[in-house]
Amino acid sequence: MPNRRIRARASLRVAVLAAAVAVLGGAAPAPDKTDPLADQKAFQASFGERFPQVPFADFANGPYAVSAPMRKQWEDIMQFPPYDFALDEGKTAFETPFANGKSYADCFANKGIGVRQDFPYFDTKTGEVATLDGTINRCREANGEKPLPYQVGLMASITAYMAETSRDKPFDIKIPDDPRARAAYEDGKEYFYTRRGQLNFSCASCHVGAAGQRLRGDILAPAIGILAAFPIYRSDWGSMGTIDRRFTSCSAQMRSEPLPPQDKSYRDLEYFLSYMSNGVPISGPGTRP
Amino acid sequence: MTRVALAFMLLCSVPIAAHAADKSEAESAIAGAVKAEDAAGKLGNRWIPAEASLKAAKAAFTSGSWDAAVAEATRARLLAERAVEQSNEQKTAWRDAVIR
Ligand code: HEC
Repeated sequence: MPNRRIRARASLRVAVLAAAVAVLGGAAPAPDKTDPLADQKAFQASFGERFPQVPFADFANGPYAVSAPMRKQWEDIMQFPPYDFALDEGKTAFETPFANGKSYADCFANKGIGVRQDFPYFDTKTGEVATLDGTINRCREANGEKPLPYQVGLMASITAYMAETSRDKPFDIKIPDDPRARAAYEDGKEYFYTRRGQLNFSCASCHVGAAGQRLRGDILAPAIGILAAFPIYRSDWGSMGTIDRRFTSCSAQMRSEPLPPQDKSYRDLEYFLSYMSNGVPISGPGTRP
Repeated sequence: MTRVALAFMLLCSVPIAAHAADKSEAESAIAGAVKAEDAAGKLGNRWIPAEASLKAAKAAFTSGSWDAAVAEATRARLLAERAVEQSNEQKTAWRDAVIR
């Protein structure tokens, strides 16, 4: 407990310092115009400059891309990938028809094979961002099945299988020419950069500013390509976890009360992060030590 | 952000009220904390320790520990007020962090 307090104070001191620097520097007011493509170019260029030794496609591998010792560990784990069980379970579930005779394949383009890289997408019918996980549950409900819990279990297994059929396909997220789509993108961007929680961190504090650095036992993954490996098996979880599980645990690390899974802000955040990663190949399911 | 930091440090040194609190003081302290937490919630910025203190305050109230209820509720309210302040500041400040 005392440690936590000291850490909280230390980070606040850093924040105070940063604020002072910002004031002294007289940061100019930023333009408000939304230009997702320009954002994406700047985002990708900045990680390219930060990590010149990392080939672009390797950002699909999160912490392994930026840490040689972790990469070595990874090679050892991959002798027996801990997600194999989930992959088998997911494939079986995916191929088993619902009670009404239909199946997941009926709900997706190309029968759901090799489509992970197109998610999330902006659904012009609902006016909202549709994630892969959300679409799986909508498919179930449309066919008279109960929705699955979002963070662990079968949802992770099914998305693991769907990711595996999409390996090496580059993220191809589109922002249609629709003000609602641009608003969703902008909302996700704001969520990513906004400081919240007692420690006064934003997602960017750790996954942009401190990417590649060590935090306790972890190496912080760079924000680019950060969703390419999902779902992932983590040893400290002892099981598979979806994007919702990861967002929830990172919110908690910020001492910020997590949002419910698939909350609009989390979906918009996923939209923003995936769009920033366009071109990075799908590598899921992944495994982390 | 300086204000948030200062407030936090003050918070850590707030002396607990010397006199014994009664039920109605505990009630109003909790009501104040709930109101502040709701405001933070509207901004999508509930802080985990604020939620925890509010919960502890309610538990203390249920068991008739008025002093503890007031102390925890006060902590929850002050934290929630800092959260609101943080969110208000971030309404524009987040743009300075954008990679461009
Ligand atoms: C206090 C630092 C911190 C903050 C702030 C933070 N995270 Fe994380 N995040 C971590 C750590 C530690 C891990 C595990 C190590 C790793 O893979 O980066 C992680 C992992 C992740 C991963 C998985 C990366 C991988 O390849 O396994 C994603 C996705 C992620 N965070 C998203 C977010 C989002 C979105 C936010 C903002 C809501 C956020 N993080 C805020 C520390 C942080």
